[in-house]
Amino acid sequence: MTTSRLKSYDPSLAVHDLVQDLKWDPDLREAFARDEAGVLDRYPLQGAERLAIERRDFKALYDMGMHPYLGGQLSRLIWGNDAGGGAILAVNNLVASLTGKRQGE
Amino acid sequence: MGEIVFAAGIPHLPAMVGLYDRAPPDVQAVVHNSFESLHAEIKAARPDVIIVFANDHLANSRIRSYPDFLIGMAEEHRGPHEWFKPWIGCRDYAIKGDRNVAATLFRGMIRRGIRLFAEPGALKFDDNISVPVTMGNLDSLGIPLVPVLQNCIVPPIPEQHRCYEVGQALADLIEKDLAPGMRVALIGSGGLSHEPGGSRYYVIDETFDRWFLDLAASGDHDRVLKELTFERMEASGSGGTIELFSWVVIMGATGPCKGRSFGYAIHRDFRCGFGAVIWDLKPQTAQAREQVPA
Repeated sequence: MTTSRLKSYDPSLAVHDLVQDLKWDPDLREAFARDEAGVLDRYPLQGAERLAIERRDFKALYDMGMHPYLGGQLSRLIWGNDAGGGAILAVNNLVASLTGKRQGE
Repeated sequence: MGEIVFAAGIPHLPAMVGLYDRAPPDVQAVVHNSFESLHAEIKAARPDVIIVFANDHLANSRIRSYPDFLIGMAEEHRGPHEWFKPWIGCRDYAIKGDRNVAATLFRGMIRRGIRLFAEPGALKFDDNISVPVTMGNLDSLGIPLVPVLQNCIVPPIPEQHRCYEVGQALADLIEKDLAPGMRVALIGSGGLSHEPGGSRYYVIDETFDRWFLDLAASGDHDRVLKELTFERMEASGSGGTIELFSWVVIMGATGPCKGRSFGYAIHRDFRCGFGAVIWDLKPQTAQAREQVPA
């Protein structure tokens, strides 16, 4: 059984602000899609935190203390947010990152 | 003296809307019948206002400054918020708010020792309000809605005993502070078992869900308070199942009463179990509510 990560989250991580801002600001989402590095430069991310975002390494982000709910939203911001398409890809890629297994394995 | 005339708990799983057409007929039937019952029974209860305690999923506040309860005071509520539209796949809606009831709620709960916050402007709604409003067509009823967004996700969160106390304070407020004769419908929006953003995103705990729905309908609030713990819900899906604390607020407001479920549905792509309960209210008094210690 997976241990709850909720009580070990780290509210001080800058990645939380990145996700909140991307949700709330369509222009920032466009900039993120066009120039991800440029958007990441705007946030005081720790080195390992930024590297994990760039590598789509959600396990590393969660181990650092990223809140899983915002992790799920970051996956949708990266891979897609529509119910029947991109969101399913996002969920599958997120779960694969966390478990080391692709869906169906 | 106001009166609670309707109370229900209902999940708001977003994928249920966008992927509804792809779900098996038996799953669609449970979802359809539950929301149709919600709509019909609210209409029959003739409330003057619907107060919805719904989970906030980090949609309105920074994680560093997160309110446990946030009242929407706007004259009108619109949704879903732009980013959540493709995610949910529901239609746009606008539903009247009730600034007077929201202000009374804010003032009265603070005076009863419940720390709430209030937003006079527009709140950003995701599935929390959007799913019950659109699936239950609540916006067609012409009844104002007051949303109370509840922290079920950023620890430390209000757990079952605190949520029950909040519900008891809400009932006392409805009875003593609202306008004489005001009829109030209450909805708890959240759950069942799911793990949004987690490694068990696709895991649904059917055993837990059926146990919970039976417990919620039993009216045995002693057991609710003893057994519906943070730890038990986290074991059934981290960060998602605990949304059921919104149902506990409503249970605290109604006091012990039996409820009816409209079946249980499980569909992997929904990434959450589905089942609703409508409680059969009986005349409540403060004395009867206090029989269950929070």
